[in-house]
Amino acid sequence: MHNLLDDYAHGNALRETSTRLKLFLGLWAILLCVSSTTPIAPLFVAITMSLITVLLAKIPGRIYFRLLLVPFSFAMLSAGVVAFMHGNGQTLFSVQIFGIDLAIREEGANLAALLIARTFGGMCSLYFIALTTPMIEIFAVLKTLHIPQSVIELSMMIYRYIFVFLDQAAMIHSAQVMRLGDAGAKNSLNSFSLLCSVLFLRSWEQGERLIVAMDSRCYDGKLDLMDQAAGANPMTIFAAAIYLAAATAIAVLTRDVLLL
Amino acid sequence: MHIMEGFLPHPWWEIWFALSLPVVAYGVYKMNKMIKESRETLPLLAVAGAFVFVLSSLKLPSVTGSCSHPTGTGMGSIIFGPWITSVLAMIVLVYQAIFLAHGGLTTLGANTFSMGIAGPIVGYLVYKAASRSGLHLYLAVFLAATLADWATYLVTSLQLALAFPAAVGGVLSSFEAFAAVFAITQIPLAIVEGMVTALMFKYIVQLRSDVLVRMNVVSQITIKKLKEAVA
Repeated sequence: MHNLLDDYAHGNALRETSTRLKLFLGLWAILLCVSSTTPIAPLFVAITMSLITVLLAKIPGRIYFRLLLVPFSFAMLSAGVVAFMHGNGQTLFSVQIFGIDLAIREEGANLAALLIARTFGGMCSLYFIALTTPMIEIFAVLKTLHIPQSVIELSMMIYRYIFVFLDQAAMIHSAQVMRLGDAGAKNSLNSFSLLCSVLFLRSWEQGERLIVAMDSRCYDGKLDLMDQAAGANPMTIFAAAIYLAAATAIAVLTRDVLLL
Repeated sequence: MHIMEGFLPHPWWEIWFALSLPVVAYGVYKMNKMIKESRETLPLLAVAGAFVFVLSSLKLPSVTGSCSHPTGTGMGSIIFGPWITSVLAMIVLVYQAIFLAHGGLTTLGANTFSMGIAGPIVGYLVYKAASRSGLHLYLAVFLAATLADWATYLVTSLQLALAFPAAVGGVLSSFEAFAAVFAITQIPLAIVEGMVTALMFKYIVQLRSDVLVRMNVVSQITIKKLKEAVA
């Protein structure tokens, strides 16, 4: 019923690769994108990360392409604002709307291109983490990072209940649609509030029953988890290191190149 | 409204992390105290967090045709208070980034600040002030949820403006531009979320008013009055 990135992560081809290595690779790539000063390195990261996700992790290309559209509208809107509001240099493009001069100048255009590249580089790296690493394995890593026990406990329970409630919400929604609950704005607003409140009440009752269930199984404030993933093998570490070194080298070498 | 991965440049994403982490840490401290007092709080918080996530993955009855979804943080801050809501919001934001590709990891600090701290604090203060001044409960809830959303959206615009000040007019004119662009979706969206939250409260009062009384959201007397008005 649901369509979360986590669902694909459980069946991807890089499932058995070390979690730490995958997280390190993804996070390094994200930081590289954020700190690069030209669009070249983020574009390189975006393209290579997409290839890794589609070819090595065997995530279906159609699904991956649809994911890339998610950041698109935000990136275009915000980069558009930056392009118009920013910069000096030659005017590349200008229009007059309601007597206001709107112009894109060189510096603004460069910055906007950089932002779009960074967003796509960052999102592709994020997709790499999301699509190759199931959340359960990330929990196991978090436990070794000294994050407060109660926070991890809370996250794990939230994770469990997300799936329960998503299914319930989908069922309630279909029931409402079948009874024409979505006919007209007023009806759909009412249906949506009903859905939310029923969901809230059900989740509350679920929570009350959960503590009873856990108590009767000797819950002591700590759910134990096995770190299933094997350590990384030397070849993979080597490959990841070469990739990151290449990406970093590109970022450093192209730091002064201007596209426009 | 989330800032996407990679959008905030170098000093800014660290600054927003530095600003949000102490608040979240205080929230964790408050939460630990609450759990120590009564152990059944943890599962309740967990289902509330899952609820917020599910809310944010549902599409609202479409207003402008864009991808618009409720944040649910106004609701959270009315029930659990702003500090604990900030912890929930941060966890939910991580899940949104990893499961739904909303937001990102370097922008997590900025998004936590706007959605998990600024919004809930405003919502909480508005709710307290409105219910103290004797406003009708549902109106108070509507105002709290709507203003919490607007606060979130203004803070996000400010975060973007600070990172990218305009050449002419600096931060202020850049802020106006970002606020204007996002206003198209955010202003009606917040009003719809306010109405949805108020209607939700109406159903909860009718069915499980004891939940609200236990969390000190509403007094027994108000509940009685509300129920009499319906009957």
